[in-house]
Amino acid sequence: MTTNTSMTSAIQKASAIQKWSRRVFMAAAGSLAISAAAGLPALAQDAEWQKVIDAGKKEGSLVLYTALVGQPSTKQIAEAFTKQYGISVEVLEARASEIRERVRVEQAAGRFAADVMFTSEGQTMLYDKEDKSVDPLPVTPNSQKIGDKFKLKVPMASVMTIPYGIMINTGLVKPADEPKSWKDIADPKWQGKILSDDPRAIGAGYLWFFSTHDKIGEDYLRKVASQKLVFTRDQRESQRRTARGEYSIYMPVIMTDFSDLKGLPVKFIIPEEGVPYVLYGTVMLKKAPHPNAAKLYLDFMQGPVVQKIYASLGYGPVLPGMTEGLPADVKAISEAKLYGTTDTTRQNEMLAKSKDIFK
Amino acid sequence: MTIIHNRPLDDIAETAPTIAGNAFTRAFSGGSLWRLIGMLVLILILGFLTIYPLAMLLYGSLHSTPPGMAGEFNLNGYRSIMTTQNLIVLANTIGISLAKTIPSLTIAVFLAWIVARTDTPFRGTLEVLITLPFFIPPILTAMAWGMLANPQVGVINMVWRWLTGGTDPLVNIYSYGGVIWHMCQYSIPFLFLFMVDAFRAMDPSLEESSRMCGASRWTTFRKITLLLMLPVLTSSFMLSFIKGIETFESALFFGLPAGIKVITTDIYESINHRATPDYQYATSLSFAIMGLMFLLVIWQWWMLRGKSFQTVTGKGFRPSVMELGPWRWVTFAFCVLFFFVTVVLPIGQLMLGSFFRFFGFYTYDMLTLEHYRSVFANSEFWRAVRNTMMLGLLGATATMALGAIVAYISVRTRWRGRNLIDSMAWLPWMMPGMVLGVGFLWAFAMLPGPIPIYGTIWALLLAYIALGTPVSVRVMTGAYHQLSYDLEECSRVHGASWFQTMWRIMVALAWPAFAVGWVLTFFGIMRELSASILLYSVGSETLAVVLMKLWANGNAEQVSVIGLMMMLLVIVFRWVQLSFIKARISKL
Repeated sequence: MTTNTSMTSAIQKASAIQKWSRRVFMAAAGSLAISAAAGLPALAQDAEWQKVIDAGKKEGSLVLYTALVGQPSTKQIAEAFTKQYGISVEVLEARASEIRERVRVEQAAGRFAADVMFTSEGQTMLYDKEDKSVDPLPVTPNSQKIGDKFKLKVPMASVMTIPYGIMINTGLVKPADEPKSWKDIADPKWQGKILSDDPRAIGAGYLWFFSTHDKIGEDYLRKVASQKLVFTRDQRESQRRTARGEYSIYMPVIMTDFSDLKGLPVKFIIPEEGVPYVLYGTVMLKKAPHPNAAKLYLDFMQGPVVQKIYASLGYGPVLPGMTEGLPADVKAISEAKLYGTTDTTRQNEMLAKSKDIFK
Repeated sequence: MTIIHNRPLDDIAETAPTIAGNAFTRAFSGGSLWRLIGMLVLILILGFLTIYPLAMLLYGSLHSTPPGMAGEFNLNGYRSIMTTQNLIVLANTIGISLAKTIPSLTIAVFLAWIVARTDTPFRGTLEVLITLPFFIPPILTAMAWGMLANPQVGVINMVWRWLTGGTDPLVNIYSYGGVIWHMCQYSIPFLFLFMVDAFRAMDPSLEESSRMCGASRWTTFRKITLLLMLPVLTSSFMLSFIKGIETFESALFFGLPAGIKVITTDIYESINHRATPDYQYATSLSFAIMGLMFLLVIWQWWMLRGKSFQTVTGKGFRPSVMELGPWRWVTFAFCVLFFFVTVVLPIGQLMLGSFFRFFGFYTYDMLTLEHYRSVFANSEFWRAVRNTMMLGLLGATATMALGAIVAYISVRTRWRGRNLIDSMAWLPWMMPGMVLGVGFLWAFAMLPGPIPIYGTIWALLLAYIALGTPVSVRVMTGAYHQLSYDLEECSRVHGASWFQTMWRIMVALAWPAFAVGWVLTFFGIMRELSASILLYSVGSETLAVVLMKLWANGNAEQVSVIGLMMMLLVIVFRWVQLSFIKARISKL
């Protein structure tokens, strides 16, 4: 029901955006002189892209593997894509390690089943370096427009950031006592009252560990470790446990979940320092059976239709100007200052450190 | 006096007259060449289902990279598991598994005896009700117990504080006790189901003789009933103990907050929570555990060797019940208590919660049918139901057929190779599910191109058959151990063909066990996630995959709705099955 209404609006948006993007292309064509001077004939590029569109439509379908499990937005986006290009999308969902092994084995066995994959920046690095299962990124119209910090070295077309913050139980924490920053978590008054995602294994807790370690320092983490944190690895169930009053604080919480918990005695807090985040994006898999449809999908994910869908859910869009007109609470989360993320190349070192600090 | 030494089995199998007939009949009916071919086919099937995926895993444990990647053979995996830390974790795991298996087995034996051998009132209804928790996804009962027994605001502790006025909690589910308790939720019903028909199929004359010779009820139970149940009991113990070593949800959910580590959480972490999944470590550790487990199987063979446990003979198969007099109300009370604690408390929570917007917030304005509506309107859910039903029906039937053949050959014949197939059928049970899932992925994906298994629904079916075979073989082994050879001989002497004998005696009499095994396998398939998630393809989602997605997205209430529907299905299945058994027994 709600999905339906948002679907219709997404579709309406989609057609509006189609017009809009055509206008952008016109503008781009208008500035042909500049581009030509830079050695990039935009018209030729436009024609090139049209070829991709035609070939993609001819391919007719696309296989997407996603590590973002259970999100209704995946289906919503797939339908909007089909609406725009007439290309059907088949989606296979599994957790990051499972989907990675499937892709690796499929390719090793010469079964090239998937075209694109929706995954994180860290995973992409592994796909690229170790498994060598991804293709270099194509240049698409939208790939030029995203924020510069989201143009990556790894072959992933950035799509959105998942922000992590602090959740409190409003029945147990008085407004005056609410933690406002990551540093407040170290206040001894919270001893034994914090439920935390396990920082000793890859996941949200580790993300928090990594970013605060680099930005605040090890002393801070040791102070937090003396708070007798209780560890868990189930994000959603932990939110509920905190809501039911087992703990005063749960951290780090996926900020975008706030809308699912409306009606419960909880409050999501954006820490003053900012939100640790995971950057998600689309990669193109080697020997994709539908390479042109894959390129269209990569482009579509960075275009305004998808960017607005993610922004409306609280994720951080990579395309500027997507949060206008959103309700204040969603807007605040979607625009929250990005604090830090993890670095795959330092993972073994940092996991060992986390295990040392949080014994 | 209870253990009668076997008469030479060779008489039956080796000297059976060769019967003319089609090749298939001959394959199993004595012609040694055809028998050889039959055995070879069976070994090939089992080999493909069990040895092949395990061989891929073995390769993974001996190779620096998983299959399909350049690397070298080395023993680094095995070297890296040899740590004191792992030894402590192993001891801890074995301790937890023993701590859950022994009480579970004791309670299950007691319950099976009450239901099958006594005149306890309402035992027919109780038989269905006390097994319900087994069929609910573990994550749901974990959530329910988390709500009931957390030290801060758990319902049980709130009631306790209100009653006593104290501030200390009565129970804390996030502890060793909690982990063990949650495991018992599954092992007691499983063991009960596994054993109850063995108790039912027992000829009471031996017990009666014991009583007439002056033995007390307790002595009779101990020396006759239990001893006759030895094959079933040892099988139960092993199935449950090995599963206890491999269980993982309980330890992850309740053990992690308390700092409790078990082998499987370590394996899970090495695959899912490291920078790069360390398959070499995970598989090496699994094989090391498997080696230890196999010692148990050898121990069982040694213990049952050369003994006979036939209780179903040609004469006097009259299932009678013991009259307990007023004590029957005590046994009844025990069952009711068990039912209340293990079923009403957790499932009551799930049922209640499914009608409210959020679990645990039971106010009038939160009442809703939204979760039911969402589930019913979810087209992916219905597609998964269709897939799972198809896989369940086909898979359970095929698994039980395979299990029955393997069990028959290993128990009732002296054919060469019978020990081989028996041990092959054990293998999948000894590998933790999440590792075996990877084994199936590697095995099916790496098959030569033209063999279209990977990426189709058949990959799931084959994996399910392999995963279910250990239980099906154990269930049927227990049943065949109890059938006397007279019956088979009698039938053959009277001119029945091998197939007729098989059908009328071996199938008809072992039918209750077959049915229980079928239900266990069917619901095993319904719950299986580790292999499913690695093998399903677009369009062939199973229910477990859908449940995982819903859970991952925080729709715990919808997961409960589906869990409750699964339970309803169990009640229907079990009711049908038990009515059949009753009808059959009264006919006999």
